[in-house]
Amino acid sequence: MPKVYIDGTSIEVENGTTILEACEKIGVEIPTLCYLKHLNPAGSCRLCLVEVKGSRLLQTACTTPCAEGMEVTTMNQNIYNARKLVLELLLANHDDGCFSCPNNGKCDFARYCMDYDIEKSPFPRNKEFPPVDESGEFFTYDASKCILCRRCVRTCAELQCNNTYTLKGRGHETMVGLPFNQLFKTSNCVSCGNCVSVCPTGALSTKSGKKYRDWEIKKTQTTCPYCGVGCQIELHTKGNKVVGVEPLDGPANNNLLCVKGKFAYEFINHKDRLTKPMMRKGGKGSPLEEVSWDEAMSHIAEKMLAIKAESGPDSLAGFASARVTNEANYIFMKMMRAAVGTNNVDHCARLCHASTVAGLATTLGSGAMTNSISEVVDSDVILVSGSNTTETHPVIGAKMRQALLRGAKLIVAEPREIDLAKQAEIFLQIRPGTNVAFFNGMMNVVIEEDLLDKEYVENRTEGFEELKTLISEYTPEKVAEICNINAEDLRKAARLYAKAEKASIFYSMGVTQHSTGTAGVMCTSNLALLCGKIGKYGCGVNPLRGQNNVQGACDVGCLPGDYTAYQKVVNPDARAKFEKAWGVSLPDKPGLTITETIGAIESGDIRCLYVMGENPMLSDPDINHVEHALKKCEFLVVQDIFLTETAELADVVLPAGSYAETDGTFTNTERRVQLVCKAIEPVGDSREDWDIINELMDRLGYKNNFSSSSDILDELAGTSPSYGGYSFERLKKEQPQWPCPNKDHPGTPVLHIGKFSRGERAIFKPSPYIPAAELPDEEYPFVLTTGRVLYQYHTRTMTGKSEGLTNIMGTSFIEINPTDAGKLGIANSDKVKVASRRGEVTVEAHVTDKVAEGILFMPFHYKDGPANKLTNNVIDPIAKIPEYKVCAARLEKF
Amino acid sequence: MEETRILLKNIGKINPVSSADYVAAGGYKGLKKAISNPEAIVDIMKDSGLRGRGGAGFPVGLKWSFTKGTPSDQKYIICNADEGEPGTNKDRILMSGDPHSLFEGMAIAGVAVGATKGFIYLRAEYPYLLPILNDAIKDAEAAGFIGKNILGSNLDFEIEIRSGAGAYICGDETALMESIEGKRGEPRYKPPFPGVSGLWGKPTIINNVETLCNVPQIIDKGAEWFRSIGTESCPGTKLFTLSGNINNPGVYEFPMGVNMRTLFKEVGGGCPGGKKLFAVQTGGASGAIINAEMLDMPMDIECCAKAGAVLGAGDLMFIDESINIIDVVENLIEFFVEESCGKCTPCREGNTRLLEFVHKFKDGTAREDDLERLIEIGSFMQVSSLCGLGQASPVPVLSAIKNFPDKFIVKSDERGQN
Amino acid sequence: MTEINIVKDAVKKHGRKRESLMPVLQEIVKQENYLSEERLMEIAKEFDLSSAEVYGVATFYSFLPVKPMGENVIKVCQTIVCDMKGKEAVLDAIKDKLNIVPGQTSADGKFSLMAVNCIGQCSNAPAMLVNDKPYINLTYENVVKIIDEYQS
Repeated sequence: MPKVYIDGTSIEVENGTTILEACEKIGVEIPTLCYLKHLNPAGSCRLCLVEVKGSRLLQTACTTPCAEGMEVTTMNQNIYNARKLVLELLLANHDDGCFSCPNNGKCDFARYCMDYDIEKSPFPRNKEFPPVDESGEFFTYDASKCILCRRCVRTCAELQCNNTYTLKGRGHETMVGLPFNQLFKTSNCVSCGNCVSVCPTGALSTKSGKKYRDWEIKKTQTTCPYCGVGCQIELHTKGNKVVGVEPLDGPANNNLLCVKGKFAYEFINHKDRLTKPMMRKGGKGSPLEEVSWDEAMSHIAEKMLAIKAESGPDSLAGFASARVTNEANYIFMKMMRAAVGTNNVDHCARLCHASTVAGLATTLGSGAMTNSISEVVDSDVILVSGSNTTETHPVIGAKMRQALLRGAKLIVAEPREIDLAKQAEIFLQIRPGTNVAFFNGMMNVVIEEDLLDKEYVENRTEGFEELKTLISEYTPEKVAEICNINAEDLRKAARLYAKAEKASIFYSMGVTQHSTGTAGVMCTSNLALLCGKIGKYGCGVNPLRGQNNVQGACDVGCLPGDYTAYQKVVNPDARAKFEKAWGVSLPDKPGLTITETIGAIESGDIRCLYVMGENPMLSDPDINHVEHALKKCEFLVVQDIFLTETAELADVVLPAGSYAETDGTFTNTERRVQLVCKAIEPVGDSREDWDIINELMDRLGYKNNFSSSSDILDELAGTSPSYGGYSFERLKKEQPQWPCPNKDHPGTPVLHIGKFSRGERAIFKPSPYIPAAELPDEEYPFVLTTGRVLYQYHTRTMTGKSEGLTNIMGTSFIEINPTDAGKLGIANSDKVKVASRRGEVTVEAHVTDKVAEGILFMPFHYKDGPANKLTNNVIDPIAKIPEYKVCAARLEKF
Repeated sequence: MEETRILLKNIGKINPVSSADYVAAGGYKGLKKAISNPEAIVDIMKDSGLRGRGGAGFPVGLKWSFTKGTPSDQKYIICNADEGEPGTNKDRILMSGDPHSLFEGMAIAGVAVGATKGFIYLRAEYPYLLPILNDAIKDAEAAGFIGKNILGSNLDFEIEIRSGAGAYICGDETALMESIEGKRGEPRYKPPFPGVSGLWGKPTIINNVETLCNVPQIIDKGAEWFRSIGTESCPGTKLFTLSGNINNPGVYEFPMGVNMRTLFKEVGGGCPGGKKLFAVQTGGASGAIINAEMLDMPMDIECCAKAGAVLGAGDLMFIDESINIIDVVENLIEFFVEESCGKCTPCREGNTRLLEFVHKFKDGTAREDDLERLIEIGSFMQVSSLCGLGQASPVPVLSAIKNFPDKFIVKSDERGQN
Repeated sequence: MTEINIVKDAVKKHGRKRESLMPVLQEIVKQENYLSEERLMEIAKEFDLSSAEVYGVATFYSFLPVKPMGENVIKVCQTIVCDMKGKEAVLDAIKDKLNIVPGQTSADGKFSLMAVNCIGQCSNAPAMLVNDKPYINLTYENVVKIIDEYQS
């Protein structure tokens, strides 16, 4: 703890603290340009020069560590002159068209020039610059405004780890740019825009940013509405319009964003937003017509009450949403249970991570990420399976790459050669649907080679003998055959994982969306337990949740068998607790899942379906079947922000406010509860989700005492042990991870330390490998697997409104191996017809060796060429999750 | 005057590739001694008073003690053979004529601090030295002087050569390390210093060729012997490169403290064609340009500094009366404009501005405030640049202004707008 | 096919760790006298680096040219001592013989001329390198002779 003197003030600081950090602590402002928190200091701009007694040279505050007794002067005439000269030298070659600069009003460089009394540089311009690069969809690069601080270069290299920027040349000629004569459009840029966010001048600026000035906008801190990472953002609004997004230093994202979070906000104020309630006044078959809220609401209440009266509460069902707030989901599930009286409430987690919730709850006692996102950077070994992390969870993908920069090793077990595979120490291109065999093979090597953590297995687990017996069958050779990989690679991977001090497993839907999804999930925990890697920092089993609030929707009870915080409806004590809290009696039988609900509509058991913020018409498997059911549904209500494919079939459509128009909370994939704050008023006549349901409950005869979503969170906290410590007030200051049982609890970054959620011991659940339900045959010779792409999200209701994203990746495609393509006479970009036993679609072929021979890949986002016309709706018997990831298909040139 | 050939004793006399020749001339005795008592080496180096011969003059024993005292699974010895300073070519002579003395010095350093790997970073401008060095390494390995289990001990020391690719900045120790790591040769900020965190973040000793070539004989003959040569503050001999307007240009070895006038007159033979000496640039392109009247100067670090000159790597570039000093300064700054790495603002932008002002003096358009501004920028660069390049590049122009004020003529009474 | 092997062979010889990047770049320059965009892309792929990184390294160093070069590369020292002692005569000789100035390649593609900074022959100035070979104490006349040798 060295003690230093800054302008005479003494301060004691941690070892390694820089002068700049010490100054920050005592409120001394030092100007900086190249310095940026989270980046390695560069010490290159030389603006933060200070005097250190005893040194002939001026020192950069950003790089110089404090030493015992150091005496620092942060301002005097010398320092002022030096800093001023730095600025003057930079200004000479900085384009001075400030009036037209989009950065006008928020330019760090201009502010410093003002601070140091510089109006113009005393030096003539002596550099030539290339023309402005406007080729990118979202931002432009004007080298004549660049001051060579290199924040963009370093952010792209050290944080995003994409290395798009180059430093061209040397000396005075040095320039920030792209290699050769590349433009952004033709480079490897992924449009994350993190370079734009850190640019201190207008050199890098958003295209939209040219339309407003910083002082015209309101800034609202909130949570990104896309994937489950939970990036903290600042929404910039001008009037009632969102005009920009800036990253914030949230615990999960540390100032990073992806292309969707940064740029895909056009949907919020899009002309296609639903702004008025609509009804088919003439009954089924008649057109949707705009009606008043009162008319729509009384009609819905009337219909729901009538159906309930005629066929009982279980003839109604509701789909909650992984996209809306915890508060909206809570009140929705309360409506279904307390006002309607049924447990028929589910949401799309069924389709992504139901197997995680079921599997990990069984083996560990809690179905969520065991560890925190930030820990991945410190992991020694990262095992990724069934997750194309850099595309589906881009900020976590970036952090994995940061870990690799620090020397971590990566194992990727994936059917496709995803971007991460290129950086993997070991890449195992497993056949789709063979995850269970792969994990069993890993465990076989661990046990055979005696790499297990015996003490951990002995003291903290049960069921080892059973596991050992089953695993002994899965020799590397046998597994290699099943997975179509190399046995030696499998051995190497197992050794690497088992021997690492900190090894983490990350998986996503490549593991969960199988008819053996729950088994696959349990295998991940089997392996981690066997190697003693649960309940430790930098380790764990980490399911990456796909949607912004899919974790929260599960947590707050939008599951047919669970109240909030996974309290079971079949548990009489839990039921009694909620009956007391809500003042009604509650059904004791678990409700129907999404997939079961679709079947029950077909059979006529369900007559009314209320869908809030979901689009099963594109997202569910075998959508021909879904369409048939929804068309048949007697009374379908859809509450959404757009007229989705599902809403088009509805009897009543209610316009909801987007995330930018509501207050509430989202729970991210690492169990962190974060605030969502209203930045603009709901567009048109739309209303906040919770507010709509609140009124409807009233009309259904159940009166809540909620006057804000904050009130809802308070009630939720009161009934849910793991959410007990949350309130809006607290979340403004800190965002703890659950379990957070009370307001003094700091939250739980790592689960299962010392003790498992399920009790003293975790349990091994050995699972045999069972092949996918539908395998290729002569008629359908390919295995089709599905997934996401970076530039689109879910069913494109939001990203589809972004012109830039549509330009980059606006149409569906199918990936096929060059050998297969050759045999079928298919060239890149050819139109092909893809068929499965359930349907057929026509899409563009991408011929690529990303996929192995015999394998096809399609993204599921697109309405043109919807992959889910093809997928198999066979489900996992435990979690009821459909097998999206494997079906048999054939394809031919169109 | 007779040279004192300690470093140059084998030059031209032995087959440079042959370790047997080198041993016959008394070589590898220091390494043998070092292996018998590795613990003592750093202290001997401290006692010897040897200071770095690359230009900065840092005490070698002290430098080594930092690396010795930093525990690490891997440490490195780097020989800085990026002899890029214009006016210097002494290391080329050592490497082409007696490479084994360099290897021995590196191996002793490795033994002293527990490093098992050494790199010679050879500048790209010396491609013709590569075959000699490679052959000599092979020979030394075969004879067991370097490689695994050197001299039958349980110690390893491997040497690998890495080539530069044309960048003066890579003579900076941290830039050189970046270059070995396969990156742009941009210097790192310090601290941390290489002794503690150098190549790949590991403790690293980096010394100049001449420095390392001094080591074997110091270990062999002892610190006291070494201190008996040269001056109190700078023991030992020094290689001097004489160049420019001089009759006998070349590399010569003399004890530290030899007088510059002796080097000019007796060794160099004065200016050709009977011309009058006008100025001397001492310490290479980034060193001071002094007036011929200041010639009486003992050549060691302190004396040079006191007199406003720079010992540097022992370079003396003689400039006769026929040369325009402004042209010299112009050429030197052009050199720095091209060789600045471009990382830090003062050096990247400052050098081009210095050049612009010098152009004004050249075409006679300079005004009073141009001179002020030139001095201001130069002084600013000296204290605010990231590395030695930017800190030293203004030295020639500033020293020239000081020592030849009448050559920097301004149009009197005129001042600019700013 | 043989073209791709140049990079692959260099990688085989020097390795594919980051520290081998410079040796590989140098190897390609040795064989082709410059680094084409195509080669840099291949190298980037081999090293699993972005082309931006590889390009950034190449353009930093004077002896890793990214523009095509002739069969023989003449590097004439332009730094102070050589400048004082007759660099102009050297350049004149080359201009007269080959009709090129620094930065140019002769029409027949046989020679490229670079004016480079100090090549460490200050006590033998003026000096130049032709490919890897040093030539010292140059005069107009001996430069003419040296070029004659390379032309024959």
